[in-house]
Amino acid sequence: MPNIKIFSGSSHRELSHKIADRLGMELGKVVTKKFSNQETCVEIGESVRGEDVYIVQSGCGEINDNLMELLIMINACKIASASRVTAVIPCFPYARQDKKDKVGSRAPISAKLVANMLSVSGADHIITMDLHASQIQGFFDIPVDNLYAEPAVLKWIKENIPEWKNCTIVSPDAGGAKRVTSIADRLNVDFALIHKERKKANEVDRMVLVGDVTDRVAILVDDMADTCVSPREPWLISAGATKVYAILTHGIFSGPAISRINNACFEAVVVTNTIPQEEKMKTCPKIQVIDISMILAEAIRRTHNGESVSYLFSHVPL
Amino acid sequence: MSTGMNHTKGGLLIFTANSHPSSRELSKRIAERLGVELGKVQVYQEDNRETRVQIQESVRGKDVFIIQTMSKDVNTTIMELLIMVYACRTSCARSITGVLPYFPYSKQCKMRKRGSIVTKLLASMMCKAGLSHLITMDLHQKEIQGFFNIPVDNLRASPFLLQYIQEEIPDYRNAVIVAKSPASAKRAQSFAERLRLGIAVIHGEAQDAESDLVDGRHSPPTVKTTGAIHPSMEIPLLIPKEKPPITVVGDVGGRIAIIVDDIIDDVDSFLAAAETLKERGAYKIFIMATHGILSSDAPRLIEESPIHQVVVTNTIPHELQKLQCPKIQTVDISMILSEAIRRIHNGESMSYLFANIGVDD
Repeated sequence: MPNIKIFSGSSHRELSHKIADRLGMELGKVVTKKFSNQETCVEIGESVRGEDVYIVQSGCGEINDNLMELLIMINACKIASASRVTAVIPCFPYARQDKKDKVGSRAPISAKLVANMLSVSGADHIITMDLHASQIQGFFDIPVDNLYAEPAVLKWIKENIPEWKNCTIVSPDAGGAKRVTSIADRLNVDFALIHKERKKANEVDRMVLVGDVTDRVAILVDDMADTCVSPREPWLISAGATKVYAILTHGIFSGPAISRINNACFEAVVVTNTIPQEEKMKTCPKIQVIDISMILAEAIRRTHNGESVSYLFSHVPL
Repeated sequence: MSTGMNHTKGGLLIFTANSHPSSRELSKRIAERLGVELGKVQVYQEDNRETRVQIQESVRGKDVFIIQTMSKDVNTTIMELLIMVYACRTSCARSITGVLPYFPYSKQCKMRKRGSIVTKLLASMMCKAGLSHLITMDLHQKEIQGFFNIPVDNLRASPFLLQYIQEEIPDYRNAVIVAKSPASAKRAQSFAERLRLGIAVIHGEAQDAESDLVDGRHSPPTVKTTGAIHPSMEIPLLIPKEKPPITVVGDVGGRIAIIVDDIIDDVDSFLAAAETLKERGAYKIFIMATHGILSSDAPRLIEESPIHQVVVTNTIPHELQKLQCPKIQTVDISMILSEAIRRIHNGESMSYLFANIGVDD
């Protein structure tokens, strides 16, 4: 494909390599390093004049450093006369600070700040996956493609869970009900959700299951797993589930999450590779990874050629 | 200095968005001088390394001053500042002034091959987040003021450094102000004028990587291609820069040498200059710099070198480096920052703070 260049930030190089392989091209040469005073330095190693540039950087690991690196790279390409700069951000940083909650009306809406920063640095287009709230698309004035990992998740369920026809999709809280019902409808199975009844603030509360999991495989579905604080699966097992799977799009797994998963009785914890999982898989054998590089690669190809991207919302490219 | 604040103008709030305790020292001193308490805010990093800012008092209708010193983790400090500024803006603060004694990424203020002008990017981001005024000190290049479309006050630390020279160096009248490269000659000259001393300029040391690429992108390409358009239309090649041997222009024999610069970070060039000055007969060597970043093993190298003392201001916290190298002395500049905050809040003139500053400083 002519006139296209893909650059990778330092947050998730394996995903960028996979995307470039799928598109049949090499990653662009870029040098990212830090000076001794910890300032980030980016130098693009080839000409981008008049090219359609895609920069792949995920919001994971050292988030502030990776975010600065992404902004500096976008700015460097823009002032080097690239014709269009698209930021491909599989896991959008600060997505959970997207509203003022009642705890402090002085809370910053950091997701809006990040949107401003991306626009100011010169991005013309954003491609991301499973935003925590799809309203974040509205924080931008530039086009945002919010891709879904759902088709890949459905494919994984059909291929790897033998009893999928008789399972129940469970949402860990009331907020994820929409996501779960959409998956349950496509698989033609039942769904359930877990509802926390909070008696007092900071008191661990009763969990009420709305729906039925007796003698079925329960599949917990959520968009991200960070500290994995409140365990739900022992509770699902005691409610009658035979096996419990957890499927999440973004596996952040910070702090003591890995040890919590190892001590829990999940059959498997399945995440996509929006965030690098190599290290975590070594310490936790229950983690399995769904590869979504083909969805991102196909989105890049279609955006570059000016074709429709809506095919990707319901199909997984081969 | 009277500490009576003019509270009828909506009140003054001073915050610091630094999460690291050593970075909060300067803010505490400034707040003490102004006679106010630091505003209550919680800044911390969550498990997944995202920054979280929680302001714990009302900022509605107030003039907010956010003091942010750059620590070892520059990118996190920048994010903390931006999130704090944005939080104040969406909580209806009347005006938000950023006090950044050292402006980060100020060395990446020029176009280099296919790099980014990060200082301009930072300026746009700060203005977009809601900053309405910026106070900083000794910007690496004064032109950085033009990157902002908000007012920028570029204060000077030179009066404090000059006072240190006059009070703490016993025979300063026998000193020579030295510029370690021709780029800092203007600054050396402005110091020398105010102290009525001579100057010396060192030329020809190994240029560091930044100034090599200062010409921007190499256009036309330096490689001669065969098949030129027309023999007489060949564009002349750029002659590559040669490195002349180190020379000192000016006399330092039997005198104290005071090297003056704005930032001291990688000390290799300073060490080379010190060696040269020692050879030429200087008996004591001082280094005066506004911003003491002193990263990686700078303290150890300074300790082992013939340099007598390194004097920096407290714009950047350097307690750890002082422990490793007792030659480092600190000059406190919280007075000028607190005076600037007071004058801006009360709407008074700032020209007193620039009284003895020369054109080239």
